[in-house]
Amino acid sequence: MLAESTVHKVLELGTSRGADFAEVFVEESRVSAIDLMDKKIEDITSGNSFGVGVRLLFGDEAYYGYSSDASEGQLLTLTENLARSHAQGAPGDLRPFRVESVQDRHPVRVDPDSVPKGQRVELLRHLDDLTRRHGEAIRQVGASVLEKRRDVLIANSEGLWAEDGRQYARLRLSALAEQGDGPQTATESPGVLGGYEFFEELDLGRLSEDAAQAAIRMAGAGYIDGGMMPVVLGNGFGGVIFHEACGHPLETEAIRKNASPFAGKIGSQVAQPILTAIDDGNLANRWGSLNVDDEGLPAQRTVLIENGILKNYMSDRIGARQVGVPRTGSARRESYKFAPVSRMRNTYIERGPHQVEEMIASVDFGLYAKKMGGGSVDPATGEFNFAVQEGYAIRKGKIAEPVRGATLIGKGFEVLPLISMIGDDLELAAGMCGASSGWVPTTVGQPTLKIDRILVGGR
Amino acid sequence: MEGQAAIEYALSLAREHHERDADALLDRSDSLTIRVLNGKVEKVDQSTALGLGVRVVKEGRTGVAYTERLEPAAIESAFLAARENAALPDPTEVVMTTDLPDLPDAATLGLYNPALDQLGLDDLATFGLEAEAAALAADPRVKAVPYLIVQREQSSQTVASTHGVRYTQRQNSVGAYCSAMLEEGGQRKSGNHFWNSRIWEPTRARTLGGEAAAKGAALLGAKPIARAKLPVVLDEYVAPQLLGMYFGNFSGESAQKGVSRLKGRLGETIADAAITLTDDPHLQGASGSRFLDVEGVATRPLPLIEEGVFRNFLYHIQSARKDGKESTGHAGRGYAGGISTRSHNLVMRRGAYELEELCALPQRCLLVTELEGGAGCNPVSGDISIGVQGFLVKGGRRVRPVDSVTIAGNFYELMKGIKALGKRYQPNLSKRFIPAMLVEGLAVSG
Repeated sequence: MLAESTVHKVLELGTSRGADFAEVFVEESRVSAIDLMDKKIEDITSGNSFGVGVRLLFGDEAYYGYSSDASEGQLLTLTENLARSHAQGAPGDLRPFRVESVQDRHPVRVDPDSVPKGQRVELLRHLDDLTRRHGEAIRQVGASVLEKRRDVLIANSEGLWAEDGRQYARLRLSALAEQGDGPQTATESPGVLGGYEFFEELDLGRLSEDAAQAAIRMAGAGYIDGGMMPVVLGNGFGGVIFHEACGHPLETEAIRKNASPFAGKIGSQVAQPILTAIDDGNLANRWGSLNVDDEGLPAQRTVLIENGILKNYMSDRIGARQVGVPRTGSARRESYKFAPVSRMRNTYIERGPHQVEEMIASVDFGLYAKKMGGGSVDPATGEFNFAVQEGYAIRKGKIAEPVRGATLIGKGFEVLPLISMIGDDLELAAGMCGASSGWVPTTVGQPTLKIDRILVGGR
Repeated sequence: MEGQAAIEYALSLAREHHERDADALLDRSDSLTIRVLNGKVEKVDQSTALGLGVRVVKEGRTGVAYTERLEPAAIESAFLAARENAALPDPTEVVMTTDLPDLPDAATLGLYNPALDQLGLDDLATFGLEAEAAALAADPRVKAVPYLIVQREQSSQTVASTHGVRYTQRQNSVGAYCSAMLEEGGQRKSGNHFWNSRIWEPTRARTLGGEAAAKGAALLGAKPIARAKLPVVLDEYVAPQLLGMYFGNFSGESAQKGVSRLKGRLGETIADAAITLTDDPHLQGASGSRFLDVEGVATRPLPLIEEGVFRNFLYHIQSARKDGKESTGHAGRGYAGGISTRSHNLVMRRGAYELEELCALPQRCLLVTELEGGAGCNPVSGDISIGVQGFLVKGGRRVRPVDSVTIAGNFYELMKGIKALGKRYQPNLSKRFIPAMLVEGLAVSG
């Protein structure tokens, strides 16, 4: 992707100007997107990105710059500018390259380039048709196919030379239903780290039914009376709460700034003993998986919480050094335009011993949040806020009427110990996570679980 | 290749391949960002981002492609990809404009201050270190300043078409964000403050840190309040954030696709009679100002709501033609995507009150100063359900801070429930000028 001699010169210049660590990140990516809306394919987009990011570390200080112009002269000027910003010190070490053989654990079975674009257009039209078959109440359907290929090279002054290819495929379906009281939308957006086989193997019937029926039920729904109540949180995307409220504060990027309620809590009981939570970058072809992270370290399975005890943080090079923990292969970035920081991969709560029916039956009045929408968190305080996309009241131990407009709010470290029942129906769901190193694909997941009490905002 | 040459090269390829209808758009942004932590500059980012987008229209079918590499071979690949992408879509009403309006010089919009380009790393670092020190010194309960970011940025956009459109404008700004974390009695609160401007004011560092600490300190001791229908005051920072999530409903394209509830409601009363909302693309110094949209259509001020009555949708060429109208100059686009509808500067006419006076109008109200995420706000249905922080106010006095509450309702009900408006807009650079407002009819749950 870039001549070895050029990479070497950049690293040499960086270390000779006093950087104790220098790194080059080269990326070439190709994206292709086709959108269907209102029964029409309106435009088809494709794009090519290329750039080189250079990072110099002087102790705890990080200097990062990038350029789309990969000529040697340009890259050396960039490096010189970065180094000049810092007071000079003694030259850092520079070791000869050793090429890491990166094992591809997430194979592409059908090369996207071998499939004509017309097939994707047909797939979207078919999906539109399947979704509209759910009746007159379905007023609008939007669907899109997104594919991205990222080829990266990571080389550093410690002698690392690692190349990796990452092929992503994702489908998005949104159904809008109306039944008198204004429109409601429901969205499904599965994705994989893999090739075109993902689209061929998707169960389009189930996908369209899930989106259409959820939109129809919510369009007929009333509002829940807000207040503090028990909540049964559905599997799959329900894991977004753990992701936001516990995952982000467990990244060393938050810990190292003392901006996390979990700082200094390794070894402490933070949840009930039935709860185990994992962040695993190795799950085959999962949306948040990696062969190597964006600092070139092989991805790992990291146990975050085991039987209620906090075990590990997710770390990148800087975070690991400052917090004093091992690196976990969690350094990620959206593209060459960002320096890497610690981020989640596939984050989920492990299976538990309970049945969904048991959990529902244990609630006299509460909320069954079958499917979550998005949310956000302030990592420093743990305060979070999540929308319920598809919700039902629970009355006297049974699922009752559909409710909309519910929001769950609370603090992650306070809610975690209130998870008292965990189901055996673990499911994972793809999402995009935004933070200081941009938007990266992550998977959230959990079995259905019961939170004894949480504040539900309604009307 | 330099930007201008790259654009001309893309258009020359269109002529060479006998593509009559093509345009190209170049975005460039340069920024210098520093982050401060524990009395040190811990991170410096220098960046130059470039992207060239090419659009080819063939018999109403649109293909788009982009490249971040401005070399002839990469530009040619992008052009050929756009051309290929134009083969498959369904035909729409899109055409390219051939009408070339006389335009004032884009520099007269006041979006660019050359003096900012002289700011170096040392200037930003000094600012950041002073702001962090000010936040830590302001209050002993400030335990950390996890986020202190200072940034100078400059961006430019050029659009050009095979029909002779040529338009470039650039803007720059400098800004800083401070988030202080405070702790008292086991409770933690973040105090966040943001400043940006086109004028460099180093003395702002101390106010930024002090304000962040003061905002967090004011929220310490916050508790929920009981569920109620309580009048709510949205301050001048929160009001544009909350209302801004729903302004996409003024797009004619959204109405055509059935994802705006304003469909078919032109001429109806949709807001309180005190509400007048205009999109003004020529506002001096405002972030959304421009004389020409990305399709080459001249922009002009457009009333959306006049004294509560819904007057106009925003259109680009395709959506306008579909409704048998003229484009209102609201086509927007970044280099990596296709055309969409975009407002320029949304301006709500101001009222007569200072924030404290607004809060004193009802006997009791919830003053909202922080929003927590927007995931419960659905722009299509208009549903609002969002966590907030702020203050319980009685008889015009802030009685205590409030957290762990949500406000819920619907955007369309909110617009009719606005009872009074503030006299100020928030002071930072913006493309939304919405004053503080007193709203009735929202449900508050805690």
